[in-house]
Amino acid sequence: MSILVDKNTVVLVQGITGKEGARAAKEMASYGTRVCAGITPGKGGQVTPEGVPIFNTVAQAMIQFPEINTALIAVPGKFVGAAAEESINAGIPLINILSERVPVLHVARVIALARKNSITIVGPSSVGIISPSKGKVGSIGSSGLAEKIFVSGPVGVISKSGGMTAEISRILTEGGFGQSTAIGIGGDPLIGSDFCDIATLFEADAETKFIVIFGEIGGTYEEQLAEAISSKKITKPVVALIAGIFAETLPLGTTLGHAGAIVEGGRGKASAKIAALKKAGAHIAETPEEIVVILKKLVSS
Amino acid sequence: MKLLEHEGKTLFKSYGITVPRSQLVENAKTRISLELPIVLKSQVPAGDRKKKGGIVVVKNAEQNPRALEEIFQTEIDGHIPKSILTEEMIDFVAEYYVSFSYSSEFRSPVLALNSLGGSGVASGVIIPVDVLLGCTPGFVTDALIMADIKPTEAMIQVVMNLWKAFTEEHLVLAEINPLFVLKDESVVAGDAKVIRDDALIENVPKPFVSLGGDIAIIASGGGASMLNIDILMRAGGKPANYVEYSGNPPASVVEELTKRVLSQPGIRGLWVIGGTANFTDIYETMMGFVAGLRLVTPMPTYPIVIRRDGPRQKEAKEMLLEVAASEGYDMHIYGPELSMSQSASELLKLTQTK
Repeated sequence: MSILVDKNTVVLVQGITGKEGARAAKEMASYGTRVCAGITPGKGGQVTPEGVPIFNTVAQAMIQFPEINTALIAVPGKFVGAAAEESINAGIPLINILSERVPVLHVARVIALARKNSITIVGPSSVGIISPSKGKVGSIGSSGLAEKIFVSGPVGVISKSGGMTAEISRILTEGGFGQSTAIGIGGDPLIGSDFCDIATLFEADAETKFIVIFGEIGGTYEEQLAEAISSKKITKPVVALIAGIFAETLPLGTTLGHAGAIVEGGRGKASAKIAALKKAGAHIAETPEEIVVILKKLVSS
Repeated sequence: MKLLEHEGKTLFKSYGITVPRSQLVENAKTRISLELPIVLKSQVPAGDRKKKGGIVVVKNAEQNPRALEEIFQTEIDGHIPKSILTEEMIDFVAEYYVSFSYSSEFRSPVLALNSLGGSGVASGVIIPVDVLLGCTPGFVTDALIMADIKPTEAMIQVVMNLWKAFTEEHLVLAEINPLFVLKDESVVAGDAKVIRDDALIENVPKPFVSLGGDIAIIASGGGASMLNIDILMRAGGKPANYVEYSGNPPASVVEELTKRVLSQPGIRGLWVIGGTANFTDIYETMMGFVAGLRLVTPMPTYPIVIRRDGPRQKEAKEMLLEVAASEGYDMHIYGPELSMSQSASELLKLTQTK
C-alpha cells in the first residue's frame, strides 16, 4: 500500500501549457502515471506535444474523463484560488498545488472550501507526491531521478522542503530503507495538508512502518504533530529533522527559505519544535544521514 | 513586506479607521504645525520603539527643544529613521489590542483581541474567522464580548473596517495596538503594524542575511539552505551569510548571487551547497556560478567546496572540473557521494590547512 497516489491515480493538470505544468505532465507520464487531460482556458480542443487533450474547464474534462481522481495545479500563484475552486467543485478528491507565491488569503479560502467538501489539498509550493514504482504527481524526481532515488519500502516521508524530500529519500534508499510515499507538503504559512494530516494517513497505511519528517522554523505544524504523538493519535515511530536553529539570533519577522519560514519567538522556533517533538517521543536527527542510523536502531530494537 | 507606521495609518484611514491628527516630518528643521502636547514617533521597522527611545512625548516647547533632532539621530535595531511621525496626544479612557493575522493552528485568518491594550496578544483571545463567511457584525459582537470589550457601534465598525483592509489589501498582519477608546466611545488607532503578503509583490528580494563569519555560502533549496547553516555551525564553522536560490533560476540570477556573496570581506572559504534537486538544472545554475566567480577580484584563492545533486549534475561536474583546472581555482566538486555534512567538514579542513 501507499497513501494518496498509486497505480490507479489519474491526473488532470491545470496549467498544462505553462512551463512548470508541461514539465510535470511529461515527467508524470514517463513515470507511468496516467495524465489524461490538461486545462488551459482558451486552448480547449488543442493537444499537448505528448498528445494530452486540453480543455477550457475542469468540468469539460470531467465529462470526457470521469475517472480523473487527482488534479495537479501549476498555474501562476494568483490564479491558484480560482483553479482550485474549479477542481473542488468538480469533486476531484485530491488536489496537489505545485504553484508557489499563492496569496495566503486564497490558500485560506481553498482550505475552507476543501474542508467542506472533504477534499484533500497538498500544497501550495508542493514538489509533489510519489509512491515509488506506483506513481507520482507533481515535479518530484524529475529527469529520471525518481527511478534512481526512490524505491518502495516502509518509510513515509513528509517534508516542508522539496529538495529535502528528494535528499532524504535518496539517503533512505542508499541506507536500505524504501519509501511507501514521499510528500512535499510545502513551506507556506498555510498549507492544505500538514504533518499531522499526512502522518494520520501513514498511521492507517499498512505498508508504512516509520514516519520521517523534515520541518523548519515558523508556524506550529511540527508542534501540532508532537501533540498528536503525545495523545497517541500517531503511534508509529517518527524521526524528525528540523532546520533553522541558527536563525534564533536573527531579528523576529525575518523570512528565510520559504514563505512560512519566519523567525518567530516562542512556538515556531526550531528549538521549540525539537523540544516538543522530543518530549512527545519522536526521534530527533541532526543530519539527513542520522535518520538512517536511527531507523536501523529502531529496526534492531 | 512590512509597512512603516505612517504608511499603515494612511492605509487604515482609507478604510475608514480614524487615526490621530499628524504631520510627517522628514528633517529636524521642519516647523510642526500641531498644537502641543505631541508625540514624536520614529518611522523605523522595529517593535518596542518606546523602550528604545523611538517614541517621545513633547508636552511643552521648553521641555526639550532638541527632541526632534535627537529622535532623528536615534538608531533603533540598526535603523536610522528617514522620517518622524508627529501626532496629537489622544485623551483616552481605555486602550485595546486588535489584530487580524493567519494562524497555522486553525489554518485560517484569526481575530485577536485584548482588553488590556499595550500588552499585546499574549493574554487575549484568538478567534478563527470563517473565511468563506467573512467578519459579520454578529461574529464581531460575539468576539468582543468574549474578549471583555464593550461591543459599541464604533468598536464593531473598526474591527469590520480592519477586516476589510486585511482581505482587500492582502495583508498577513493588520494590527492596531493600542486602539484608543475616547470618552464619547469613538475609537482611534494609536499605532498601525501592517505586513503585506509578499506573494503579490513583484521582485521581493531574496533574503540575504549577514551572519558575521568567514565561510561564504551559496545555498540551494529553501529547507536545505537552513539545514546546512545549522550543519556548518555544528561542525565548528562560522557562516558569513545566509542566502538561497531554488526552483529553476536562470544562470544570471546565480551569477549575481555569487558576486554578492563573494564581495563580503574576510572570506576564507566558499561552500556551494544543496541537497538533491528535483528539477533545478544543475548545469545551468553552475554556469551562472562560474560567470559570477570570474567577476570576483582579486581571484579567489581560498578553497571552494561544491556539493550538488540533481538533473544534469554530471555535465555540471565535468564543466566545473575543467574550469578549475584551466583557471586555477582551488575547487573541490562533489555529487551525492559526499553528504552535505561531510562536505561541510571537508571545507573546514581545507580552510584550516590553507
